[in-house]
Amino acid sequence: MLETEQLTKKFKDTIAVDDVSLVLRQGESVGLLGPNGAGKSTAIAMISTLMKPSSGDVRLNGESVLKKPGDMRRVLGVVPQKIALYEELSAYENLKFFGRLYGLSGKKLEQRIDYVVELVGLADRKKELVKNYSGGMQRRINLAAAMMHEPEVLIMDEPTVGIDPQSRNHLLETIRKLNREEGMTVLYTSHYMEEVEKLCDRVYIMDHGKVIAEGTKEELKAILSDQETVLIDFDQNYPELFAKLSEIEGVQHAAAEEHSLKLIIPKGTRLLAALFHEAERYGAQVVNVNVQTPTLEDVFLRLTGRKLRD
Amino acid sequence: MGAFLIKDIMLLLRDRSELLILLAMPFLLIAILGFSLRGIFSGDLEALEMDIALVSQGDEAQAVASLQNEIEEMGLPPGETQALKQAAESASPQTMLVSLLEDESLSELVTIERMSRAEAQESLDEETVDAVITLPQGFTEDSLRNMLFGESKSGELELLVADLSSPQTDVLKSILNEFVRTVNFEASISRLSGQQSATEVSGGIETITARQPITSFQYYTIGMAVMFVLFVGSTIARQANLEQKQMVFDRIRLSNRPPLLYLSSKAIAAAAIVSVQLILLFGLSALLFQTFAADSWAFWSGIAIISIVLALSVGCLAALMVAITLRLESDAVPAIFSGGVISLMAFVGGSFMPLDGMPELLRAIGNWTPNGAALSAYFSWLLEPELSQLAGPLLRIAAVAVIFLLLALAIFPRKGGAA
Ligand SMILES: Nc1ncnc2c1ncn2[C@@H]1O[C@H](COP(=O)(O)OP(=O)(O)O)[C@@H](O)[C@H]1O
Ligand SMILES: [Mg+2]
Repeated sequence: MLETEQLTKKFKDTIAVDDVSLVLRQGESVGLLGPNGAGKSTAIAMISTLMKPSSGDVRLNGESVLKKPGDMRRVLGVVPQKIALYEELSAYENLKFFGRLYGLSGKKLEQRIDYVVELVGLADRKKELVKNYSGGMQRRINLAAAMMHEPEVLIMDEPTVGIDPQSRNHLLETIRKLNREEGMTVLYTSHYMEEVEKLCDRVYIMDHGKVIAEGTKEELKAILSDQETVLIDFDQNYPELFAKLSEIEGVQHAAAEEHSLKLIIPKGTRLLAALFHEAERYGAQVVNVNVQTPTLEDVFLRLTGRKLRD
Repeated sequence: MGAFLIKDIMLLLRDRSELLILLAMPFLLIAILGFSLRGIFSGDLEALEMDIALVSQGDEAQAVASLQNEIEEMGLPPGETQALKQAAESASPQTMLVSLLEDESLSELVTIERMSRAEAQESLDEETVDAVITLPQGFTEDSLRNMLFGESKSGELELLVADLSSPQTDVLKSILNEFVRTVNFEASISRLSGQQSATEVSGGIETITARQPITSFQYYTIGMAVMFVLFVGSTIARQANLEQKQMVFDRIRLSNRPPLLYLSSKAIAAAAIVSVQLILLFGLSALLFQTFAADSWAFWSGIAIISIVLALSVGCLAALMVAITLRLESDAVPAIFSGGVISLMAFVGGSFMPLDGMPELLRAIGNWTPNGAALSAYFSWLLEPELSQLAGPLLRIAAVAVIFLLLALAIFPRKGGAA
């Protein structure tokens, strides 16, 4: 129902979004995964009609929204990366204001407010000022505000940044419920692989403004089907040993993290003998060796040579 | 529209520092300036009521009589003798002084009571009188001699006051100086012409009462009100900037409301806030300081008309500032405006002091500022509640407001499309 065609946005010295084509089908939950600066927010600003693309098109049910943003705006519920609320007003007053902007009033308005605060689990605290909320509660109201006009598509830009685990779980549960039970179409942006993996049916992976891979989680992981991810824990950090191990024949990608090293190797590579041999030489102790099924994080590592979170 | 207004006003009510600037500050300034500058505005004469004791140590009748005797003995031709005798009688300085102090323009302010020297001193100590004017022994005779024969010894009178630094004292001193000058002047005239002197002495007082009868409280209530309504412009623009920064503005755009609705609701919010501000400032000043004596409907409806025009013009000003602020995506404009431009506008608009002595150009600019034009409208209404007098300043305000509005419309980023 919603698609972008070769969407591109150039700023003075950067191409923030480069030739991005996405498709969002009714009822789907789609993830847009990429590190900071990948161009996710810029892409979302263009999709939600808040920014004009340098080139390319955004279409809703086959019709371009660039000239006529009205239909798109009616259909979309946008949850921006920032908390787009009046801090000096209470959650209730914020929701009332945004509801009235959409023409709600009277009993219908009150009912809708009751519904959305219930949805995000803040019904009992709706009268408090937004500025007195925790970051997590602010994010939940940020979602509630986007839901006031009963949108068909929910577009979320990193809705869980800087948020406590409890609020995060609540938020993810809410989105999942909306998608699974209410048939809400969801475009979910994040640089947290776990969230996208948990929520989304299909994923676009972005880096440097480009979509570098797309598909269902299974399809993406299939990129790594002939590979294995090996996670080796050591008793401490051995930078030289890690560098040495990364150069073992057959290792395609390596990522060091404090006391551990992650290696992506072709299936059947005989790694262990070399591993223990080198560890011996550096006097390092191997605490644990774990062969994992690949995650989207590994896919990103494989595709870009970098980790999602730097 | 209603949603925008309610939201803007709620935001303002929760912003204590803005409220302080918009309401508490001007009110404080009205109180401070109103009290401390009492007396520099002639309307304040009403606050200058004085009880004066008049002590005459000589016997005036006797002085005149003895002078008339002397004239008789000078052996002048009968006609001249008669004229001089008459002059001596009617030019009696004491009579002139009393008639001066009881003159129409002062009679409401000054009450005179004749007393003996001792009584007067006692009353002054008990503060039942504010001043004692003493005509010493020989004053009448000396002044008459001076007047009629040009003898060098002129009469001196003595002023004793309860409070040397009070504005009353200043006013009284200037009246008396005027009087002494008048006496000497009259003297020379009567001597030159040898005719019966005219005893009209109101000339000296006119210089005091000719100024516009506006009190310091009236002046500063109006001056501060027209100045501080301008701050509403920067308040509203700052709000818009915050909305843009916090991306609430994006949410508003997503609601697909016509962008001009946003702009016009900002203008109307500003006008509404200004109206409330003016009602509170004028109302409180009237209640607490009795600033406005007139309590007729006619008087207040004139004030209301000026206030409405002023409020609408500040609405247009706010729209312009909102437009620029959103276009520049920066709060520099409201910051500069509230940090300096308002003070300048207030100065050339005459909020701090009358511009009578200022260069013509400055006054012309001031006349075209909304605050300056409103100030002159209010003053002219205070002096003379005549609707036709308001047309000039009100038209100037309206013209400037229309320019603000057109500029605002030109600058406002109409992000209705996917801009
Ligand atoms: N208004 C802008 N002007 C110039 N550069 C921008 C602007 N917005 C974003 N960028 C740049 O575009 C790139 C993508 O930014 P963004 O879309 O915010 O990435 P993400 O949301 O994935 O973190 C970044 O390099 C950023 O610096
Ligand atoms: Mg972003």
